[in-house]
Formats: sequence, C-alpha cells, structure tokens
Amino acid sequence: MPYNIAMVSDFFYPNMGGVESHLYQLSQRLIQRGHKVIIITHSYKDRTGVRYLTNGLKVYYVPHVVIYSEATLPTVYGFFPIFRNIVIREEINIVHGHQAFSSMCQEAILHARTMGMKACFTDHSLVGFADASSILMNKTSKFTLSDIDHVICVSHTSKENTVLRASLNPQMVSVIPNAIVASQFKPDPGAVDKNFITIVVASRMVYRKGIDLLVAIIPRICQTNPRVRFIIGGDGPKKIDLEQMREKYLLHDRVELLGPVRHHEIRNILTKGQIFLNTSLTEAFCMGILEAACCGLLVVSTKVGGVPEVLPRHMIIFASPEEDDLVNAVMRAIEMIVLEQVSPIKFHDEIKEMYSWVNVAERTEKVYNKIWELKTPPLLERLRLYYGCGIWAGKIFCIVMAVDYLLWRFLEWIFPEENIEIAPPFPYQKYIKICKMAEEENNNKNDNDSNNNSNNNDNDNDNNINNLDGFDDIDDIDDIDGIDDIDDIDNYNNSEEKGEEDNEYYKSKTRS
Amino acid sequence: MTQLTFNYCPVDGYQFQEGEAKCSFCGLDRNAIKEILTNSTACEEQKKAPWRKLLWIKQDYPDNYVDKTFLGELQENVNVRTYDYWTVVKESTVISQHISSIMIFIAVFIYLYLEILSGPILITSGTVFTIIGYIFWDKSISKTDPSYEYKRWRTAKGFALFFAALLGLSPILKTLTRTISDDTIWALTVILFLANMLFHDYGSDNRTNIKFPGSLSTNAAIFASVLLASRFPPHTSNSLVSGLMSFAVEWFALFPIFRRYIKSLSSKFNIALTFLLFILAAILFMNISKAIVIIYILMITFITFVCPFWLIWIQKYKKEIHGPWDEARPKIQRR
Repeated sequence: MPYNIAMVSDFFYPNMGGVESHLYQLSQRLIQRGHKVIIITHSYKDRTGVRYLTNGLKVYYVPHVVIYSEATLPTVYGFFPIFRNIVIREEINIVHGHQAFSSMCQEAILHARTMGMKACFTDHSLVGFADASSILMNKTSKFTLSDIDHVICVSHTSKENTVLRASLNPQMVSVIPNAIVASQFKPDPGAVDKNFITIVVASRMVYRKGIDLLVAIIPRICQTNPRVRFIIGGDGPKKIDLEQMREKYLLHDRVELLGPVRHHEIRNILTKGQIFLNTSLTEAFCMGILEAACCGLLVVSTKVGGVPEVLPRHMIIFASPEEDDLVNAVMRAIEMIVLEQVSPIKFHDEIKEMYSWVNVAERTEKVYNKIWELKTPPLLERLRLYYGCGIWAGKIFCIVMAVDYLLWRFLEWIFPEENIEIAPPFPYQKYIKICKMAEEENNNKNDNDSNNNSNNNDNDNDNNINNLDGFDDIDDIDDIDGIDDIDDIDNYNNSEEKGEEDNEYYKSKTRS
Repeated sequence: MTQLTFNYCPVDGYQFQEGEAKCSFCGLDRNAIKEILTNSTACEEQKKAPWRKLLWIKQDYPDNYVDKTFLGELQENVNVRTYDYWTVVKESTVISQHISSIMIFIAVFIYLYLEILSGPILITSGTVFTIIGYIFWDKSISKTDPSYEYKRWRTAKGFALFFAALLGLSPILKTLTRTISDDTIWALTVILFLANMLFHDYGSDNRTNIKFPGSLSTNAAIFASVLLASRFPPHTSNSLVSGLMSFAVEWFALFPIFRRYIKSLSSKFNIALTFLLFILAAILFMNISKAIVIIYILMITFITFVCPFWLIWIQKYKKEIHGPWDEARPKIQRR
C-alpha cells in the first residue's frame, strides 16, 4: 500500500553531503514507487517555506535557529506545533528521520510517536564511546530510539555501533547501504593523461578524513616515483597543512590543490586519475570510494569502519591507518596500474549491478511494510521504555515525554485537527502522463525534421527516458546549489498553479 | 569477552540484577538470550550460503538478519590498567604534599598576623632555603642541559630584580585591597586556595616548563597571598608584606619544582618529605586550632589510604568498548 512519508533531517540541499543526496535519491525512488514523500528540514538563509523539486517532491524549509554545522538548536518542544501542522496537512503516516546529529530529526521522532505515528530512523555515521560529546550524543540517541519502530543503518559496522549505542534489539535494525547513480559516474578513458600516474583525493579537509596521513605520505610517494602526480579536491581547516607540505617539498607541479569542489564536478576530477586514495579514520559507508570505483579508478583506502564492506577485493587495496602501510599500498596500486594487472574501466558495469537507488527504495519499502504491521504501544508502555534509559536519565526522559504528551493534547485543543487544511497531493501519475506526451511530441518532431540516423535517435530516446525517471537529477541538484533560483522548480510551481498558493498559505500559517 | 551481556529480558523487559542468571518473571536463561535473538531469523540456514559481512553482494537473508558473527569484533576493557594498592598510595603523596604546603602557608600567615613571627626572619629563612633548593636544581639541570652554564648569571640577576621590585611594591600591595571587608577576603582566599589545589599540575614530571593549569594554580595562590597581605594591621612594618609575598612565590612557584625533583630522585626521599610536611603542618596548627589539626589528619589519611582502595574497588565497574567503529589513530613517523 502507498504510504505518506515525511523525511526529516537538518541536512538537505542546498547543503552538500552524503545524507543530503541519500534523502533526495531515496525520496525520488519512493515517489516513483507510488508513495507520497515530503521532506522537512530547517531553513537555509532566505530559503524558507515550501518548495517543489523534481517529480513533485515537496520540501518544507522550517524557520529554525542553526547552532553548529547546520544542526539546529535542540528545543525539544519548539518544533512540535509546526511539525504537527505539517504532518496533519500532508496526512503523513510514517515519519522517517535521518542522521543522529540532527536534533530536528530526533525531535520529530519523539513527537511522531506521541502523535501515534510510525517512526523509523536512518543512521548515517559512526559515533565512538570515549569522549564527552559522544557520550552525550549516545544518551540522546538512546532516548529517541527507545521507542522507535525500526532503525536503518548504512553498513553492518554501523549497525553494530547503533545497536550498542542505543541498546537496541539487533533484529530491529536493518542494513540498507547507500547507492550511487551510476550514469553520473561514467568512466572517461580519454581524460587520463598517459604520461603520468594520477592519484586523486577528494574529501573534506578535516582531521577525521586522515589528512595528517595524506600530508605524511605524499612527499614519500612523490620521491620514490617521479611519474606520480596528485589531484586533491576539497576544502576545510586541514587544507593549510597540505599547502605547507607542498611548499616544503617543492611539489607545486605535482600536487594540484583544487579547493572546494561542487558535486557535479567530482566526476570530471575522478576521471582524470587512475588511482583514488582515501585516508579516512572513521567512515560508516564511504560514498567517495564507491564513486571513484564507479568512475573506473583503482581504490586505495584505510581499513576503517564500514569501508571493507563496500567494494569487492579486486577494486580496492586496503591499508591500516599507518604511514608505512599506506605508502606500501599506494606503491602496489601504482605497480598494478603500470603493469596493467587490473582494468578498472570494467568496474563501472560491475558497480552498476551492485548498487542502485531503486534497490534501496525497495528495501526501505519493506521496512515500511514491516512497521506498518506493528502496534503502536500505549503511553504507559512508552513511558516504561523511556524509564529504562538510566537511573536519572530515565526519570528525566519520562518527564520530558509526559510533558510532550500534554503539549500534544493542548495543541489538539487549541488548533483542532479539523481546522487544518489538507494539502492536495501532487498528481504524480498525471504529471508523468503529461511528460510522456510532451516527449512523444518532441520525438515526432525530431523524426520529421532531422536527417539523423537511427542510432543517434536511439541515444536521444534513452536520454529522455532517463530524464523522466529522474536519473539525470544531477542537473536539478546543481540548480539548487546555485545562487540563481531554480528554473525547474519554478516551472513546477507555475504548471501546477497550486504551488504559489501553497507557499502563501504556509507562510500565513507560520506567521499566525 | 565477545559475549554481549544483556541487561534486560527481551520477553518482558525485566532488568537483570548483578550476577542474576534467570529472569524472575518468565524464567528465561540470561545466557540463552543471544541464541534466541539470533536463531529466530536464522532457521533453515543449513541450505543457504553462509552470510557474509559485505554490502556489495546480494544475499539471501533479510536486511535485519543478525548473524552469529554479530559484534564479533567487539573488544572490552583492552586499555584498562590494574593498579597495585601500595603504588597508588605512593603516588597519592603528591596530593598530600600539596595540601600540606597550603596548610603550612596559611599557618605562616597566621603567625605573621598575630605578630609571633617577624618579617625579617621569614625573609632570611626563605632566602636560605631557596638558595639550597637552587643548588639542588642547578646540579640536576646542568646534567641534562650543558648549555645552562651561562644562564646562571641571568637567573641571579632575575632573582635580585624580582626581590627589589617586591620590596618596592610592598607598601602598595599592603593597601591594594585594604578597603575590602574581612569576610570577602577570607572567602575569596579560601576559593583561591581551592583553585590552587584543583588546578595544580600533579601529573607531570616536568621540572623546567610550566603548563597552563600549573600557571593558573600558581596565579591563584599568589593572588590569595596579595589579598591576605592587606589584612596586616596598619601599624606593622612593610617587611611583613614583602616577607609573605616572597614566601608565597618561593612556596607556590619554586617549591613544587623541588618536590618533583625529590620525587624523581627516590621514593624514600619523597615519603620522608611528605612526612616532614605533614608533621610541620600539624605542629604549626596545633597552637591555632586543635579541630583543624584533627580534620587535617583525617583528610590526609583518607587521601593516602582510603582513596587508593576506592579507586581499585571502583575499577571493576569499568566498561570500555572498542570496535571497528572507533576513530582510528593515525600512525605517522615524526621527522
């Protein structure tokens, strides 16, 4: 049965990252499978209110205070009234939160359970147990996940981590990996400069990505092998270390630092190289190595977190996070490339078979089916679950949830459900039909006035179909990232004519 | 130690007590929980290919399948050190030494305040002890750092300059906080000495550099003595103030270096010094307040003998978990 799903996370476009693209891709595939999906996130600068993305994916940018790296201020109750309004308006029955660092997601799960809705949660990263911030983080995770229907993790290692962190029954946790839009990461053998062995690095320049290791190994590799050059993309506080290293060892002609790279440019950088190097110190899944292998690069990576689960052994060379071992691994990779022992160009087709968002959506749908069968526990039972969180914490959490329940009753009384207008759903089927008709017309025109041979025409057709399915969504995403506003989305608003109204309505609601 | 210890019964949520083997509601065996949880999904697994911890192959298992190898890489308490009682007792002397030295400083102030002790005597004895201590330190440092020779003259010059400045400033220091009421001064002094005690650098064996927490604690103590200096009666001479201030510098900045030196020298000397300070503090306070002496003795006994036992006892509740999800520590050769 089709569900009305609300994805909630602090992290969504125009912010860039793994969670963001996961949310977008998963939502698109679920819409294609006939579900209604909306995304709730916090406002990004002037991006406030409701927006439509491809295929009528509706995004609520809720005004909120951002405190640290795009995570919102945890207020526990502050988000409840507007959240309730949205889920009633959109007739939501499943709330799906993403990323433990997002306080908005955590709050949404709590409120959803108070309102008697199904809730599930996807964990995208690993958290340790040792330092103060992760202890706090784990306690909050334990709180919100005490009463949850199902949890999804992106790798088996992440599942072990989540089960320990939140004291969950491991059967309640499914592993559904991330995926990749393979058509966006096609290899390009012509882009490689045959005079060099090019090693590509693309990551944020932060400690967790192991930039210290990178700084240590680059001079050693450059010294021993004069044909090697590096292309390094990404920005962050550790970039200065790399620049210093380049100055110190006079490697300006061999180490190219590109600075911040936008997501759609990544493919063009990857295809320039033969080897991809990842030096992360912790990683739940690691999209970077998957994208690189898909572009036909041999991957060298540190063996941390979920990395060993992602790629088959012939695509990847592992090293422990130690300088010597990494140097050896890179040397072996260079040798393999020089002697042509591997043909990374074939990786693309293999990866295409391994990871696809359609598969992810199918498996996520199974989780939804499963939680749909579950009974929602009564308040007393839920309080018992929260009580088990700890000697002191359990009591505090019980109070928090009791107040949450009272607040919900109060909201029910002061803003009755009948007074909240139901938003008309986006007519996806009709939209697809119109798109197909337009396409056919286009094709006919092409047939009539072009002298192209049939081969070319076939290609055209392929592209169009891809577009329709949203496989070439990358263009849309770029638009979102851009400063100019989104042509596509504006078009949707105009063509459906209710978008504008919707926006206005939402704004007036939030003001009052 | 790969067995996950379950704290709750999965059937009815009963919380297991320490060492309890069965759930008292449903009688479920605690050790069997893991098998129950894993086996319920893994029925007919004989026919299937074994499950592998990989994401890129499509496996004939549900997404929420829990394999036998689940949490196999979990390690518990790998970094835990087991402590020996007497070693911890010996290590605790650094704390009791510091507490004793604070006590002695306060006693000296009270003697000055009551005009039992005169300023010049304090200055003379302080200087003599400082010079003796300096000779010790000089010998130890010139062994490790041969380039030290030429710095001696600079140190002497610094000492003379500092002492002259202190003498010159003592009339100002004497009246600096005169207008503040007694209660405020006493309360602030207590707080500052507590800060000195909390932030003192107990751990390091470093005898040359001073780290940030060390400097914070020294500053707190010096400030406390400035406050105390303003409490001397107006008719008394300035030598009391300069005596107390120079003593404070010697006692809180230089003496800890000497204590570290003694500790590195031999544990016998260290214990002897601890005893000496302890007896000195007790005797000095004997004339002031017997109650304080008793509290002081009890506190030192508690820190030296009860706290180490407490630490070792509480170690059994230590539960550290490590696994592949931990952030790796990069190993880099320093050049």
